[in-house]
Amino acid sequence: MRRRRITLLLAVAAAAVLGLTVATGVGTARPSKQAAGYKVFLLPKFIGIPVFTQNNLGAKAAAKELGDSVTYNGPTDASATKQVGFIDNAVRQGYNAIIISADDPNAVAPALKRAKAKGVKVISYDADTAPDARDLYVSPPSAKDIGFFQVEWLGSQIGYKGKIAILSAAPTAANQNTWIKFMKQALKLPKYKGMQLVKIAYGNDNDTKSAQETQALLQAYPDLKGIIAPTTVGVAAAARALQQAGECGKVALTGLGLPSQMRSYIKAGCAKKVGLWDEFKFGYVAMYAAHAVLEGKLSGKAGESFTAGKLGKRTVGPNKTVIFDKPLVFTKATVDKYKF
Amino acid sequence: MLRRGEAVSTLTVVARLRDAGIFVALAATVLLFSVQATNFATVDNWQDIATDVAMVVTVAVGETMVVLTRNIDLSVGSVVGLTAYISSNTLAHHHGVPIPAIALLAVAVGAACGVGNGLLVTVGRIPAIIATLATLSIYRGVLFEVTHGENVLASQLPQGFLDLAAKTPAGLPSLAWMALGVAIVGAVLLRWAPWARDLYVIGSNPDAARLAGVRVGTRVMTAFAVSGALAGLGGFMFAARFASVDAVAGRGFEFDVVTAVVIGGVNVFGGSGSVLGATLGALLVATINNGFTLLRISEFWKIFFEGTAIVVAVTVDALFKQRLQQALRRRRRAEMIAAHRSATT
Amino acid sequence: MNVAARVALRLVARWEALLVALIVGGGVWSWTLSDFFLRWANLLDLATPYVFIGLLALGLTFVVVAGEIDISVASTMAVSAVCCAQVWQAGVHVWLAAVVGLAVATALGLVNGVLVGVLDLPSLAVTLGTLAAFRGLAYVILGGGSVAGLPGGFTKLGGGYVASELPVALLVLIGFAVLLGVLLHATRFGRYVYTIGSNREVARFSGMPVARTRVTIFVLSGFTAGVAAIVYLGFFGSVQADAASGSELIDVVTAVVLGGVDIFGGSGTMLGVLLALVLIAVLRNGMQLANLGGATQDIVIGGLLLGAILAGNVARATRGRRLRRRRAQASWKEVTQPADQARVPVATTIDSEQGG
Repeated sequence: MRRRRITLLLAVAAAAVLGLTVATGVGTARPSKQAAGYKVFLLPKFIGIPVFTQNNLGAKAAAKELGDSVTYNGPTDASATKQVGFIDNAVRQGYNAIIISADDPNAVAPALKRAKAKGVKVISYDADTAPDARDLYVSPPSAKDIGFFQVEWLGSQIGYKGKIAILSAAPTAANQNTWIKFMKQALKLPKYKGMQLVKIAYGNDNDTKSAQETQALLQAYPDLKGIIAPTTVGVAAAARALQQAGECGKVALTGLGLPSQMRSYIKAGCAKKVGLWDEFKFGYVAMYAAHAVLEGKLSGKAGESFTAGKLGKRTVGPNKTVIFDKPLVFTKATVDKYKF
Repeated sequence: MLRRGEAVSTLTVVARLRDAGIFVALAATVLLFSVQATNFATVDNWQDIATDVAMVVTVAVGETMVVLTRNIDLSVGSVVGLTAYISSNTLAHHHGVPIPAIALLAVAVGAACGVGNGLLVTVGRIPAIIATLATLSIYRGVLFEVTHGENVLASQLPQGFLDLAAKTPAGLPSLAWMALGVAIVGAVLLRWAPWARDLYVIGSNPDAARLAGVRVGTRVMTAFAVSGALAGLGGFMFAARFASVDAVAGRGFEFDVVTAVVIGGVNVFGGSGSVLGATLGALLVATINNGFTLLRISEFWKIFFEGTAIVVAVTVDALFKQRLQQALRRRRRAEMIAAHRSATT
Repeated sequence: MNVAARVALRLVARWEALLVALIVGGGVWSWTLSDFFLRWANLLDLATPYVFIGLLALGLTFVVVAGEIDISVASTMAVSAVCCAQVWQAGVHVWLAAVVGLAVATALGLVNGVLVGVLDLPSLAVTLGTLAAFRGLAYVILGGGSVAGLPGGFTKLGGGYVASELPVALLVLIGFAVLLGVLLHATRFGRYVYTIGSNREVARFSGMPVARTRVTIFVLSGFTAGVAAIVYLGFFGSVQADAASGSELIDVVTAVVLGGVDIFGGSGTMLGVLLALVLIAVLRNGMQLANLGGATQDIVIGGLLLGAILAGNVARATRGRRLRRRRAQASWKEVTQPADQARVPVATTIDSEQGG
């Protein structure tokens, strides 16, 4: 008898939990409708890391200036299939435009095309989608620059000689693969021919995985001279792994990293040179671009231009692409200048 | 049903055989990799293996207790993630808290999760596989809610905590010492504590256990609580090792643990197995993983290998048990016939 | 009470009626969250992302009714989808590649079937292993990358629309539900499955082909995973080796259990599973409109799963006092005379707990 009561109680408790969650759901209801402004959905590769949070802050600042509204949400890990859910949801909730950094350029394409068919504008940034699935692409500094610079940053640390490895993010990320392509191109140049690329490891933009991959690299290639990690999650994890293994200074490290995350490692000598761009401004420009597309001012033709608020004019290049800015370099001397 | 003396001696023999079997497999693997991979047999490498395996062993001790009772705990991965985050987050915001206190906090939270599992299985009568599959999602969801999608950065943590994973007192990483301690305590308890012996009885035959007066509900609840507590300790070790903890921490870890336990000879039917076996199983899996890395075999083969290993181990154990039961039945029948004959002459 | 009222009461008190009520409730809640919910286009479309989960659940129903469990279905689907995509990428015609995918899925189901049905291994342990082994297989075949860009005619099956409003995937789901429902409820095979789930000894002594049926249910589960793979490829237009490695499994199990299928075997209906799937789709749709995170949604679905089983336990407890006494006698007999073959752990534990 007592057991039955307890079981019933448990069942009621389960129902209560369900009910409570449902009830709180009603509280966090739909996005607030603004009188005249556009509703834009910002969908990063995944949420929870400073890079994309900075994008959001920049986009929100731009939206405030424009009188639009931005909703920021995404999956908790780099999953294109989960992004599809968010895209469909955004369409259902009546957003006017989606700004997306895609985990996989092709996997999100069908969903984006469905959105476009319903009149939603699609602007990709950071990691591009399939070209026919978006109206415009806002690129960080040119892919060629990013690739070549990182090879130079590492080369200058190891005397342009030795075995190197790349610690990337997800194997499907378009921006990663484009950068790696240019890195390989750079390595063919006579200046870098002493450097040999032995492996490309994938950390999936997951901190634990990236640390484990770094450890695996150190184990599998004991004579490794340097690592390039073109991902903020990867470069931070690699730096920490090198520090824990006592390899700082013995194995060089470079890549794309946030000054706030990499400051202690740069000063400790684990990563002497790291680069990036201003993620806040990146979000800001992307939002202005989206607004221009929504206004009908931009259709993606080369030569069109728009004003990105306080940051000035930007021009559309080939393949409906807008370049946002030049890369920044952080070293022991310069890292304290930056606040993000 | 096994008669008491018979049960103890036969099972002991079987268990010893099984443990010896894994030990042989482990030795063979070490030998193989020492020859094939150049930097396998180095102190550095073994320290790496030790740190990796420390977490699995710690949690596997708890999982062993649960599996002995013919249940399973699939939520350990989520518990590890949850307690790892709570450990990191507390330290990030309160630098002054002594590190052992953090470990205790993690263990307490883990134990609470374990009690939740235990309630669902004992009082709720929900099969453990379903219950812990559900709590896997629920605890993971709780973790997500608690993190608000953000993560703790290594730069926010006190250096003393970050150093914990890097120190190697007497050549063995400190995390490995912790795991060793847990394994020894677990082995001693299972061997000599009377309540632990009940776990074996429950796993062999739950009906008989209840009829014999064993408090099945309480014991199973204890097993789940211990499993949760040790998963909490594992989470603490995770935070020390990886520092930066996010909402997906520990995902998939339950498979590493279950693989170690199953390969280690703990019978999924319940009733037989040991901490030593689980530890050796964890070592075997970690060694092979490490060997794969050094030999530069694709990591995808590792996942396939783990799954196949579970299937093979389960098959071997089940066939073993069937043979054993048949042999015992044959022996008892022979004894009954002999007794009947001597009674009627 | 007259006959009509009694019949009406019987109908209403059924589990399926409760599900319908919950679906309506869930629908109302979703509507309060977004006006967009109640549009025909949305209503028809909200189940489309879950059709592949529904197909997996339909196949799993046979396994659970027979008293077993198969948690490797999502991995089987992944391998099937990956094989199909790889074969297509190698230049084979896409529909032929789909057949290859189906064959692979069925073969994997056969592996489970032989291990559980012939070797009599515990299904939970076996499928726990094959869940990982098959997932590993998917990674070995495809690696870390993805295959995308499948031809339009093919993707229509999972993502296309009839008359631009009715999703093809929904038709596929309903079609299979009907087909499998007939198989389960109106054939001899179905009756075997129910009997084996209720009491395997009785089934054996009645002359039913127990081993063959047990193998077949896993093969069937594998086959439906293959069909689910095709729908999955159709909806997403691409596949990675980690397809369906997340909360999909719990949605599948919840759909089956919430659908009224007894986790210990022996009872349940295909209609119930279909309704439960719709309920899950409505709830997830609503939660998404409420901007609840994916992991938070999982808490709700997990809670739903537990609640469903607990409710079933309570119902069985109140109904089964007489049955319990009878089963107690049976268990007592089992204790004093050893069983002839190793019992499935799940069933044994709970059966005897009921009797003890």
